[in-house]
Amino acid sequence: MLSRVADSLYWINRYVERAENISRFVEVSEAMALDCPPGSAEPWQPLIDASGDRDLFDALYPGGGPEQVVEFLVRAEGNPSSIVNCIALARENARQIRDVITTEMWEQINGLYLTLLENEGFWDQPPQEQLREIRRGCQLFYGITDATLSRDLSWHFGRLGRLIERADKATRILDVKYFLLLPSPEEVGGVLDELQWISLLRSAGAYQMFRQSELGVISPKAVAAFLLLDPVFPRSVRYCLERIHDTLQVVGGRSLPGAPAELECLVGLTLARWSYTKIDALIANGLHEAIDDLQQDLNNLHALIHTRYFVLPGFVNPEDSSPASAAQASVSVTATSHDLACAPA
Amino acid sequence: MFTDYRPKKGYDEYFSAGEEPRSALKPLLSSLGALGLDQLNRNHAAAGMLLKRLGATFRLNDSGGRVGERILPFDPLPRLISSGEWQELEKGLAQRLEAIDLFLADIYGDQAILRDGVIPREDVESSQGWRPQLQGFRPPLGKWCQISGLDLVRDGLGTWRVLEDNLRCPSGVAYFLENRRVMKRMFPSLFSGRTVQPIDSYPSQLLQTLRDLAPWTESPRVVLLTPGVFNSAYFEHSYLAQQMGIALVEGRDLACEDGRVWMRTTSGLEPVDVIYRRIDDDFLDPAVFRSDSMLGVRGLMDVYAKGRVAIANAPGTGIADDKLIYAYVPEMVRYYLGEEPIIENVPTYLCARPDDQAYVLAHLNELVVKAVSEAGGYGMLIGPHASQAEILEFADKIRANPRNYIAQPTLELSTVPSLSEGELYPCHVDLRPYVLRGKQAWVTPGGLTRVALKRGSLVVNSSQGGGCKDTWIVEEAPC
Repeated sequence: MLSRVADSLYWINRYVERAENISRFVEVSEAMALDCPPGSAEPWQPLIDASGDRDLFDALYPGGGPEQVVEFLVRAEGNPSSIVNCIALARENARQIRDVITTEMWEQINGLYLTLLENEGFWDQPPQEQLREIRRGCQLFYGITDATLSRDLSWHFGRLGRLIERADKATRILDVKYFLLLPSPEEVGGVLDELQWISLLRSAGAYQMFRQSELGVISPKAVAAFLLLDPVFPRSVRYCLERIHDTLQVVGGRSLPGAPAELECLVGLTLARWSYTKIDALIANGLHEAIDDLQQDLNNLHALIHTRYFVLPGFVNPEDSSPASAAQASVSVTATSHDLACAPA
Repeated sequence: MFTDYRPKKGYDEYFSAGEEPRSALKPLLSSLGALGLDQLNRNHAAAGMLLKRLGATFRLNDSGGRVGERILPFDPLPRLISSGEWQELEKGLAQRLEAIDLFLADIYGDQAILRDGVIPREDVESSQGWRPQLQGFRPPLGKWCQISGLDLVRDGLGTWRVLEDNLRCPSGVAYFLENRRVMKRMFPSLFSGRTVQPIDSYPSQLLQTLRDLAPWTESPRVVLLTPGVFNSAYFEHSYLAQQMGIALVEGRDLACEDGRVWMRTTSGLEPVDVIYRRIDDDFLDPAVFRSDSMLGVRGLMDVYAKGRVAIANAPGTGIADDKLIYAYVPEMVRYYLGEEPIIENVPTYLCARPDDQAYVLAHLNELVVKAVSEAGGYGMLIGPHASQAEILEFADKIRANPRNYIAQPTLELSTVPSLSEGELYPCHVDLRPYVLRGKQAWVTPGGLTRVALKRGSLVVNSSQGGGCKDTWIVEEAPC
């Protein structure tokens, strides 16, 4: 598979996953805001922190309120990670590799793009309806991918992007909400408190599965344990790390043991760290620090995958040193936007 | 439905001069009547949406932003050609391409046609498409043009003529294939009661043609080389790569080393045998052609010359695309094949010849003048539609550089009813069939019919407001 194509597949999936996550937590917050008493700690500002774009938001909308938060996350052109930009970038990447993805995948992502960019009626719907449609559009894209694409390298590189983005977003949501909710002990156990925790679970797409799990009763510790360590919930950090590990083994295609390269070391250690631990130990040693470390590990993982598979540093083309190819690199929309969008928070 | 339709004075393909429907058209006219103009308009709008959803778009600018993508306007009234007539055209196309291929082999080889004085040497050597670097080279199978898309027109009397040969990277075949899909989906009733020759085998024929070029391996790796996503024909490049299941590559994905061409993959470098290139000669290899090209692959021509990679079409074919050389194709047919051309050229005046130039300058207001190396409707004067200032400007250009211009009478191109502002209007059309030449020659059944949707316009190019239609090769209706 062409390195450039693998790169695009990876990013299509990251962008779609990102759009889906943002749409879900804005959708949940829209509903939740209606339950909050006027003037109470509203659910909006944490969304900016969860998306890791606080500085950009403050620059674009100084002192912005709820409406600006939604605008920023959903449609703002100036935010490279707004839902509309994510879908546009996913679609642009898909356009570049239409020969590799299936026609159904292309039609889905292109259809979603046209809906957001060209169908004015779409934005006249109530906000939660808009967000639901976006979320379903993203989910349909995964479904179509899984139902139509062969399990060859293209599928695996796509999955890798999706899983890394998912693990990253799950930890961000938990990180922000957890520490926002916990410092007020007097509210623990109150009605609003329970609502907040439910909304956290919903934002991570985890509410129903949490209820069905053995953890049952909603408590801060149980929620953190579920989102981080659950072995079977497909959006938990541990689950994502296991699948990332499997996928990298397939992609790497090496079955013989040998001295592990940096990428293998990192993915193996990270997986072990989050598989062989207990929630009590994590909390005792500082949950926030653990999550910070994990996000750093995910960023490093991305960087190693990028170097190993997408740029092939081992081979130098005589053209690469010429001014011509430098100029070409500068017109590559996707390369630039990737850099913007994956900048660590 | 056609009660208000008035054919123009030239040749209308639906109705004869007496405004009687042509015999092959009768079943279609009755299906159209049953559909009705309102429904036709509604389905037409839906067809536009469908094309957009499929992403059958081209970009007019290279902004890469959120704007600027357009579909090629699609007209739902098909253009019909009877199978008997088509067989003659197929023969004519095969004959013409055979002669052109022999010409290319000759001028890059022995140059017999120049020595015999059939074509003046200076007309060849002064051409922008001439590539002296290729002299003495013999491409795989000895053939130069694997893929061509000639432009045919019918003049005011309905006679078919070749307008251009398009031997470099003719585009439009993806629209040709997609139009049929859209027609079947949106207008199934129009197909009722008759058989239209299917066109779906084009991608397999094209793949076979390309695979034929690598006799050194049982399983050649074929790639399609595109200038990239900003190219206006990018949709077509990705569409064809997808249909053939081959990799779509950019110059930066390829590298030449150890006498071979390689593509950079996630598991390292993999060899490439055949390149279907959709970029011009000039940009193929900065080491040999334009040194500022960012689109090609350094060292490609060296590997090519050593016979370790095949390129389609062969570099150097552009010489026969020069509109001055076009004028000599009938001579080539006689010279190489000893036959009379089955399809004639449009009469052409060569401004490089003093007599022709004098005639052209005196009749600019009735002629169409074209720059010899331009395509896409650019660099052209349509005398009858031009202002006095434009005519004077062109006269100066011709005097300054006569080699660069040819002129042809303004043809009254044939018309086909088309939807224009919600009504049926006779719009001018041309036809671009695609000819493949690997081990065997193959012509698409029909081709891309381009239509000048602007009322009264003679220019069918998409860059100038043209659209397209589905083209049906049908059995003659039994009388």
